[in-house]
Amino acid sequence: MTRSVMVELVGGRLSLALLVWPLAVLVLLACALLLTGAFSLLTGSYGLSAPDVLAVLRGTLPEAVAGTVVWEFRFPRLLVAMLAGALLALSGAILQGVTRNPLADPSLVGVSQGASLAVVSLIILAPQADGALRPFAAFAGALAVAALIQAMSGARTTGATMRFVLTGIGMAAFISAVTSTLLTYGRIDGALSALGWLAGSVHAAGWNEVRALGLVGAMIVPAATWAARPLGALRMGPEVAVGLGLAVSPARVGLITLSVAAAAAAVAAVGPLGFVGLVAPHIARRVAHSGPGLHLALSAATGALMVTLADLIGRAAFVPLQIPAGLVTALMGAPLFVALMLRAQSRQNL
Amino acid sequence: MIRQALYPEEMLHSDGKTARLAPRLVGRGLHVGYGKAMVLRNVDFEAAPGEMTVLVGANGCGKSTLLKTLARVLHPQAGEVRLDGQPIHGMSTREVARRLALLPQGPVAPEGLTVRELVAQGRFPHQSLLRQWSRDDAAAVERAMAATDVSAFADRAVDSLSGGQRQRCWIAMVLAQDSDHLLLDEPTTFLDLKVQVDLMALLARVARQEGRTVVLVLHEINVAAAFADRIVMMRAGQVVAAGAPREVITPASLRKVFDLEADVIPAPRTGRPVCIPCADGMDKVSLP
Amino acid sequence: MKPAHLQAVAGAPVVLGLLVLTFGWHVSVGVKAVPLATVADALLDFDPEVFDHVVIRDLRLPRAVFAAVVGASLSVAGALMQGVTRNPLAEPGLLGLMAGASFAVVAAGALMGGGSSALLPLIAALGALGGAGLVWGIAMAAPSGATSLSLVLAGAAVTAFLYAAVTLLHLLDEQTFQNLRVWLNGTLAGRSPEVFWWCLPWFAGGLALAFLLARQVTALAMGEEAAIGLGVNVARIKLLALFAVVALTAASVALVGPMGFVGLVIPHAVRLLVGSDYRLIVPYSAGLGAVYLLAIDVVARMVLAPVEVATGLVTALVGGPVFVWLVRVRL
Repeated sequence: MTRSVMVELVGGRLSLALLVWPLAVLVLLACALLLTGAFSLLTGSYGLSAPDVLAVLRGTLPEAVAGTVVWEFRFPRLLVAMLAGALLALSGAILQGVTRNPLADPSLVGVSQGASLAVVSLIILAPQADGALRPFAAFAGALAVAALIQAMSGARTTGATMRFVLTGIGMAAFISAVTSTLLTYGRIDGALSALGWLAGSVHAAGWNEVRALGLVGAMIVPAATWAARPLGALRMGPEVAVGLGLAVSPARVGLITLSVAAAAAAVAAVGPLGFVGLVAPHIARRVAHSGPGLHLALSAATGALMVTLADLIGRAAFVPLQIPAGLVTALMGAPLFVALMLRAQSRQNL
Repeated sequence: MIRQALYPEEMLHSDGKTARLAPRLVGRGLHVGYGKAMVLRNVDFEAAPGEMTVLVGANGCGKSTLLKTLARVLHPQAGEVRLDGQPIHGMSTREVARRLALLPQGPVAPEGLTVRELVAQGRFPHQSLLRQWSRDDAAAVERAMAATDVSAFADRAVDSLSGGQRQRCWIAMVLAQDSDHLLLDEPTTFLDLKVQVDLMALLARVARQEGRTVVLVLHEINVAAAFADRIVMMRAGQVVAAGAPREVITPASLRKVFDLEADVIPAPRTGRPVCIPCADGMDKVSLP
Repeated sequence: MKPAHLQAVAGAPVVLGLLVLTFGWHVSVGVKAVPLATVADALLDFDPEVFDHVVIRDLRLPRAVFAAVVGASLSVAGALMQGVTRNPLAEPGLLGLMAGASFAVVAAGALMGGGSSALLPLIAALGALGGAGLVWGIAMAAPSGATSLSLVLAGAAVTAFLYAAVTLLHLLDEQTFQNLRVWLNGTLAGRSPEVFWWCLPWFAGGLALAFLLARQVTALAMGEEAAIGLGVNVARIKLLALFAVVALTAASVALVGPMGFVGLVIPHAVRLLVGSDYRLIVPYSAGLGAVYLLAIDVVARMVLAPVEVATGLVTALVGGPVFVWLVRVRL
């Protein structure tokens, strides 16, 4: 049995139940994230000791190179990995709830590919365009593909779950091919810059990305707080949700937009990192069973941990070579995805 | 009498001609269709508190469509549904949910959801962003679980239960909504007869003891006849007959609604109608 | 004569004619357009002094042959897979065979530094077998068994994993991204005739096996129990079909890289034309598959000329929508 603590504030006008175990897990995840982050700051081709890094962060180390390495490279990179991971996981958790499809994932169902296509188009067709436009392009591309897949898989009919996933796979193949064609067509320098981005890497992340992701994150936290309630009702199915008094259509549009926005922001900053949005919510559910709101928070923390870890592994595994974090998440995520498939309830999912 | 030993008195009151309360859920002149095809044509409907009203009819006759229209899931092309005198399609969906609960056909719980969590979801219309969970909610959930006898497995996953247990959990969720009207679409389909009977007794108790309005769609005419206070028979998008089981279940109405040749006899213990289908040549088959 | 046979006899010259026509078109199109008459001359009356003849013989002819053979092989492989698994979405690329073969080829290159072209098809075959086995194993272990959905999902996961591993190997190998990108997209440009000769027995063996199996696959496509009732040794046919599919896929990947969706598009088109008898589906898939890939390759060379698009991208551009359409119609 899950133990909970009832909290009542402002004379009962604000009241909620806090589940003890999931909250404890959330704290544990935060600790693990801090630890991984610390390791991440210490790891790299330029050798720095723990006291050095600490001194830089305090601003007491006079050595300029160390300051640059930590402040301009490792720290923003760490923050971007955390934020992108959290946003992707959040996106996946919301998408899985809305579509009632445990295998929905921004990269599996074409949303990431839509964002990729839009960004690559921008880089290649309008090379002089401001890099700040990328998130908007990614968002537009992702939203268009998400809408297309929803429309094509015919949400009303039975077996919609399965068709949604399969349609997404087909669309993903098609859009990837378009993206690759654009790369072939594009000028070589543009193509190379786009390619580095496509491999899904936090390698080049700087403070600009941190600011963009931080801004999106700051907007998404209140939105996700709102999202928890409709998500809880919608996961029971649209008709039950209507019966419970949820305005289903606006809720669904709002949630999908939220999910796409989160994924698009992450993809725009670091490229398509596969499987994070798919796997993180499931890991979060396995370690701590909780309501929809806490589950979103747990998923975000898990996603942040996954990408931070993936980036750390990518840097540390084959020194001096750097493996893009996207490759590491694919190598870790695909087997986890298979494990999920095998555990899925035959009745409803497969 | 034997029948009183089996069924508590209040469950039989429809046959005892107690005074009916005024209906609170009323549909008038409903026309409903998907696309061009009209599924309901000029349907009138009403359901009164303290009664269990059962919609019966052949597949595709529009009974589920009528239920969904009454529950404001579907919008009628013409006519209107009034809940306590107000047009239901103009009310806020949350306001409706506090007064009217709906259990659609064959609901599926998300993987791993526990019974308590499922039932707690019924408190949705009473909650808000600030008021996420209160003592009232906890009490209503406990009450609903006790009434449906699911407290014993409150912390197990819904998808690990048997069909009958699972359906009781869903009914508990609808009860936890604390609404005066309960609309259920085929809540007993695919269940064993014994489980069906227990569920129907539970719903009849909810209607008669708690004075709620219960409307359900049923497939099984004999189960409907054994428990309903009022039966509404539909065919091809129209209401053919409505009234107490004894009045509306007749060989003539069965022929008209189901195209079924059947004898109707009173049940030995309750006196309620029982229909016994007969096919061509069946009378010539002698018993061993 | 049964109507099916009549149709086959009537259709054969049409397909052959189409094949000759596309073949000629393919050879004549390029950076420098060569008139069809010169093409015919180069083939029938070769003159080493004429520059166009040399270009056609040494550059364009091999490419056209590769396109035709790979198109035929992948289409037949797809048809066999769809028949044996009774799954409309079965295709070498979707179900992990191509990813397995690609991974094996790249891994062998990384470990043994290229190796000989003679071993290439064998290595690719082992990889394809491994990929197929992995996807099947995962799908079978799923609660619902090997359904269309579980197969495609397992295929997507295995493919994502193996391509990530391929990229990783390339990074470790410090080869250029450029090289990897072109081959992994599937390309017919600059393939060596040496590899082709080593692949040829695999193509021939696979196609011959497929033609021999066609009759039993027709029975199998009606369902395993029906096939057993008709006296088909189901286990043996499945194993032989697997051999054929692996040989055809492996040789194709070894020669031109992964070329997705060819095996999905053509058999479905063929089925619309000739019905459900695999004695017709297999030969027609071979013929129309060759025509299809020749035409696709012409498009790939012409659409962004003078830049050439990887042929595998064009097959995906056509195949992706067809896949989505199949999901809509067949599931």
